[in-house]
Amino acid sequence: MTTARANRFTPYLFLAPAALILAVALMYPIGYMVYASFLDWNPSQTIGEAEWVGLRNYVNLWSDAAFLESLGVTLSFTAVVVVIEMILGVGLALLLDRELRGMAVLRTLFILPMMIAPIVVGLMWRYMYHPTVGIFNRTLKSLGFEPIPWLSDGSWAFASVVIADVWQWTPFIFILSLAALQSMPRSALEAARIDGATGWQITLFIKLPLMMPVLIVTALLRLIDSFKVLEVILVLTNGGPGLSTEIMSLRISRTASEFRELGVAAAMSNYLLILLMLITMAMFTYTKIQERRTAAQRAASEEA
Amino acid sequence: MKTVTSTLAMLALSATAALANPYAPYEGTTLVINVPSHPHYNAMMKILPEFTKQTGIEVEVDQLQYLKMRERQTLELTKSKGDYDLISYVVFSKADYVFADQLENLARYFMNPALADPAYDAEDLIDGYVQNIGVAGGFKGYLPGKTGSLFGIPYGSETSVLAYRKDIFEKHGIDVPQTYDDLLDVTCQIPQLEDGMGGMASRAASGHQASHAFLLHLAPLGGRVFDDAWEPIINNEAGVAAANALKTIVDCGPEGGTTFGPAEAAASFMQGNAAMFMDSIAFASGFEDPSRSRVAGKVGYAMHPEGVRRGSQTGGFGIGIPKNAQNKEAAFLLLQWLTSKEGDLLVAMAGGNPSRFSTYQNAALNEKYPYSATFGEALKYADPDWRPIIPTWGKINADIGTTMSKVLTEGLDPQEALDGVAARAKAIMEDAGYYVWQ
Repeated sequence: MTTARANRFTPYLFLAPAALILAVALMYPIGYMVYASFLDWNPSQTIGEAEWVGLRNYVNLWSDAAFLESLGVTLSFTAVVVVIEMILGVGLALLLDRELRGMAVLRTLFILPMMIAPIVVGLMWRYMYHPTVGIFNRTLKSLGFEPIPWLSDGSWAFASVVIADVWQWTPFIFILSLAALQSMPRSALEAARIDGATGWQITLFIKLPLMMPVLIVTALLRLIDSFKVLEVILVLTNGGPGLSTEIMSLRISRTASEFRELGVAAAMSNYLLILLMLITMAMFTYTKIQERRTAAQRAASEEA
Repeated sequence: MKTVTSTLAMLALSATAALANPYAPYEGTTLVINVPSHPHYNAMMKILPEFTKQTGIEVEVDQLQYLKMRERQTLELTKSKGDYDLISYVVFSKADYVFADQLENLARYFMNPALADPAYDAEDLIDGYVQNIGVAGGFKGYLPGKTGSLFGIPYGSETSVLAYRKDIFEKHGIDVPQTYDDLLDVTCQIPQLEDGMGGMASRAASGHQASHAFLLHLAPLGGRVFDDAWEPIINNEAGVAAANALKTIVDCGPEGGTTFGPAEAAASFMQGNAAMFMDSIAFASGFEDPSRSRVAGKVGYAMHPEGVRRGSQTGGFGIGIPKNAQNKEAAFLLLQWLTSKEGDLLVAMAGGNPSRFSTYQNAALNEKYPYSATFGEALKYADPDWRPIIPTWGKINADIGTTMSKVLTEGLDPQEALDGVAARAKAIMEDAGYYVWQ
């Protein structure tokens, strides 16, 4: 009997360390943050001294114009960045999915931007965008054009941070798309070619649908990441001019350190977390539905 | 025999001398101090070895960028046992630290005969600075007054002066601006007279920097953020005039000025891209350093121009002892030494900002840094109330800064912008309980 019971408990025993680490390393901080979001907590106080204010932080945020503007900036930044990066990254992968000499070198070169520390990326772009000595404005001037106010005008500043982010993160999508392309079943491609499909048709009807699961996960990863981008924008514009580039993570960081409202900062983080969870769940539901539909189609065609 | 007696006598003498040395009980102590990366504190680093030599107290320094330093201190001060024995705090941290009861009241140290140096001469410390940085609990809570007490001593404090290019002004026969009208005229004349040169390099980046730049003009033009009953009056005529002044200065300033922080603005002036620079005196020693500055020797200094009144900024840093420090007495000795007549002159000669009137009068200092006399004069008009130092200031400051940035870059109307700031400030103050007595 004891052996039977011991056997029954063995799996839990083995799971225990992992569960413990999960509880300590993941659930505790998240729980702490959720708890903090219900407090009026100034960083000069310990958490015990902070006053409980219930949902006030969450409610107040919806009438805070600066928060709403920052939310708008975050959503448009994410949308623009992910769409451009997906198009460029997948396009590059489709173009470079062939036997080229020196491909290994090229690939390394392509993913270089991803390997640079974000602070350095920010500094580098900041110097390139510099109004007088930056490479962009110097080139424009020598070609006889008007210099562009890269970081000093609201809309240009937004475009500038988008450009920097696209430069840094397109390679991520490129490398994953390329991997997806290269692990694709050659038989499908050959069959299409024998049936007389053109290059465009192969890309549109064979390659892209087969890459889709990978692309969805890739887009999701980029989406989550771009919601949380901080360093590059911090260095480039620090959120300005005005609030034109103040993405949510920057607002959270300023709320905590400049405004000294840890509770509000925690509430904002939780909104961000909820938003990301919703997007992730939507994505997974979509893939589930998609998979089920393909499975149903396959079953139908097999029956026929 | 005679020699033996005299040797003994000498030994006895030196023994009493050692006993009389107030530093002796703390010899061998290591103090850990937290200071900003700032020209003044770079100068302090040069004189610390002298302190160790005189007292036998070792000092370990943790130097951080000043906003990072503030974040670090915020965490550090909530611990029950802190790592820092002496901290340098930004002036607007005074409200937070004192309110949270994290700084030692200095009275009990100045009362302690074993610690307080009778030759310290506190009367010689610059008034405006002590009021602004050291004292809390008086008028409006953050200013001195009968209920106030001392929590820190100014160290590395600053006021604003106008730095201008003597050569450019002479070349075009321009007079040094004395009033705000002159200043705004001259700042827009320069770009027409000198190709590619801006009038004045100013901070203007969104957030703290734009707010600082705006407040710099608000006080001389007669404005305040709040009246004495904490009603926001930032949107009155003076406020709008200050916003317009800032906009004129940035519009006629060097290219890309709307993204400048203080370092960028100073760099622009040092590179010869602007004819004027009106900011903290702390930058002056950098301008005169030929290895970094192209304008060394060509810079003149004048007082912050007068609007409806004189009112240059008071800012910079003070030093205080955290409540949770481990070596408070030794820390006080360091604080006292650094701000003593001797220490103040030493740090000034090394390129720091004096905290004492007598240091500004010192002949040797005036010979080494000819602008010292002007700075000493400017200090008489330093305005301790040019910005409120209250716990809600961080949020209001950030709001002024982003709104001002919109005025500068998106053409938002100054009156409308400031009306918005005033309404939001009122709400923030109300939340913090400022109007319950009305």
